[in-house]
Amino acid sequence: MNDRRKLLKTAIAGAGLYGVAPFYGPWKTNRAWAQSAQKKPLVIGLTMDTSGQYAASGAEERLGAMMAIKEFNAKGGVLGRTIEALHMDTETTPATGTRVAERMINRNEAAFLVGAMHSGVANAISQVAQKYGCVFLNTNSSSPTESGKDCHKVKFVWDGSGTNFSHAIVKNAMKVNGKNWLLLTNDYVWGHETSKATRAIIEANGGKVVEELLVPQNTRDFASYLLKIQQIKPDVVATAVGGDDIKALRQQVVQSKMNMKPAWINNQQDWPDVYGLGPEAIFGVFGTNWYWRLDLPGVKEFVAAYQKQYPGLGIQTPGNVYYNGYMATRELLRAVERAGTTNNLAIIKELEGLKVSARDRMQHFDAYMNPVTHHLQQTIYMASYNDHPAEKDDIFKILAQVPPQEVEDKASITTCKLEAATPSYEQ
Amino acid sequence: MTWLAQLLPHLVNGVSLGLLFALLALGFMLIVGVMETINLAHGSLFALGMYVAIFLITPQLGWFPETQAAYLALPLGTRYAIALLCAPVLVGIFGMALELCMRRTYGRDPLYGLLLTFGAALVIEELIRVVWGSGEKQLPVPADLSGAVLIGDLLYSRYRFFAAGFACLMIGLLWFFLEKTPYGSIVKAGAHDSEMVRALGINLSRLRLFVFALGVGLAAIAGVVMAPIWGVRPGVGVDAVVPAFLIIVLGGVGSLWGAVLAGLLVGLAVGLTGAYASEWSLLSMYLLFIAVVTFRSRGLFGKKSVLDT
Repeated sequence: MNDRRKLLKTAIAGAGLYGVAPFYGPWKTNRAWAQSAQKKPLVIGLTMDTSGQYAASGAEERLGAMMAIKEFNAKGGVLGRTIEALHMDTETTPATGTRVAERMINRNEAAFLVGAMHSGVANAISQVAQKYGCVFLNTNSSSPTESGKDCHKVKFVWDGSGTNFSHAIVKNAMKVNGKNWLLLTNDYVWGHETSKATRAIIEANGGKVVEELLVPQNTRDFASYLLKIQQIKPDVVATAVGGDDIKALRQQVVQSKMNMKPAWINNQQDWPDVYGLGPEAIFGVFGTNWYWRLDLPGVKEFVAAYQKQYPGLGIQTPGNVYYNGYMATRELLRAVERAGTTNNLAIIKELEGLKVSARDRMQHFDAYMNPVTHHLQQTIYMASYNDHPAEKDDIFKILAQVPPQEVEDKASITTCKLEAATPSYEQ
Repeated sequence: MTWLAQLLPHLVNGVSLGLLFALLALGFMLIVGVMETINLAHGSLFALGMYVAIFLITPQLGWFPETQAAYLALPLGTRYAIALLCAPVLVGIFGMALELCMRRTYGRDPLYGLLLTFGAALVIEELIRVVWGSGEKQLPVPADLSGAVLIGDLLYSRYRFFAAGFACLMIGLLWFFLEKTPYGSIVKAGAHDSEMVRALGINLSRLRLFVFALGVGLAAIAGVVMAPIWGVRPGVGVDAVVPAFLIIVLGGVGSLWGAVLAGLLVGLAVGLTGAYASEWSLLSMYLLFIAVVTFRSRGLFGKKSVLDT
């Protein structure tokens, strides 16, 4: 009897351990800064996932940010200060994002925060950043709310949003595939907002959403969804499913031979989620904001620099997630240079007026920061699997490039209310 | 009758999913039932089984290139069968090493064993990242098992039928071993009264080593079978250990048929809610658990304690 009680107690403790598993440490810091004649290093807090649903993407965006920092340090840092990258795992968990942001700002004196894949984590970090006035760059979370109702004065969003991708893909897919759509939506903020944007575009163009199926996060078995889709018989299935969930879904769609019919629209495919997969696993039409074989100036050099800096990595060519991490960090450091200060208000002003040429962005059209929403307006690419790869890792076929003006999320201009007052912050 | 025709595929899917859940829980059930140890590394060992199977199907070592080329020339079905047989054995041997580490925790507060297996879970997951990387991998499936079958006018994955059938086979084999062989009787006796088993001259240490290896091997088999369905990632073990844990408590700790029934109930709950109230599909297993445990705290087939009389 005693044994059974002990076992039950242990079981409860075991469940508890798994409950707290995402919070295990230790925190990592690079090193403590010692007083010296040198200027104090500029600490950039990298708030990126190395565990949880977006671990693989979090690792890639970190490499991108590190590359930009390395380039600046190679030419003497910024404002005469070397740049220190301080990374802590945000664990794809909003509560951890809050703790990490608090700690980086209060204990590690981070001048800026960079990173985020998951919209819940991005929102959590940005609330803390706004409280202190610390500029935060959301590198890869593409929920429309990030530059809509959850926008903040200190936050700048670098990836295309779900709305941008929907605008680029949905109208065309309606013409080609039909008007009856089924939405498969991850049951959290990014999924809901992305599907909401898709629904609005479908209905505005005379289409009909015949069903919306919600997919709880961490769903691994999609057989019941796939049966339901077959029973409903939509023309098109538009997914807003991310992270490990989309990987499991993709695998099961292919196994059930449903990858050709109905037509599949995947809002955005992040490079780490599809890297190394074959034609049987990448299906449908999807969006991206960059591809490593774009025939544009600077792309080849950018890819070569990645391969030289990170030889032997599992992901041997950079993708959109790495690109966003790099571009965001580079533009932040350029803004510091131009402003001649690390004061947050000066940096915010610089970033609000940001314009980046297509050449500098390695995209087809010029990009610009929308000062009302703090969302970078940029080229969006429609892509599908490449049946005729020219070389290894040439797995995307770019179908079209859409200029930023055509995919703009106009709703966010009214839903985003940037704070009038933001504390002054400088490190 | 249209509603029945609509419902039937989801019932079939629920049962097949339930069998897979039962397969997932078998090794966990065996170790808890016999050794009274909650093996929190079960999920990581499940993941390790997937990776070892991928290695056995598509080895990329660089040593002995000719042997490797000859091996890779074997039909995929043969290599898959080798992986299905050998991956559990290799992971089971790894499990034996873990059991040797656990010996110091026997007879102490069960928390020691719990912490040790929790630590082992983290180590195994990191080991997987170091050896195989963090990215997604795919376990190749023989052509005969892949593709879809048409049921009525619905496509259903052929591999899922194979996986469900294989789960039935494993459940049957485990039942046969436990109920119809002398060694199974010793295992059951060890679960019932380990001190008496020792007094009868049976080497308890060896028994525990064997049971732990068998439980770990079953986790690895579940990993190999589930790999083409769930995909292969270093963190996939967490997806396995939570339902496995829930199923053995729901079924009654240490009960084979309890675990099977609980697996089927969980599969049906997840499958049906996935079709008709999709936002509840993951939550449904926890609601089922609460409903059962509220009225029957020892689980469906759990043994009655003296306090219950």
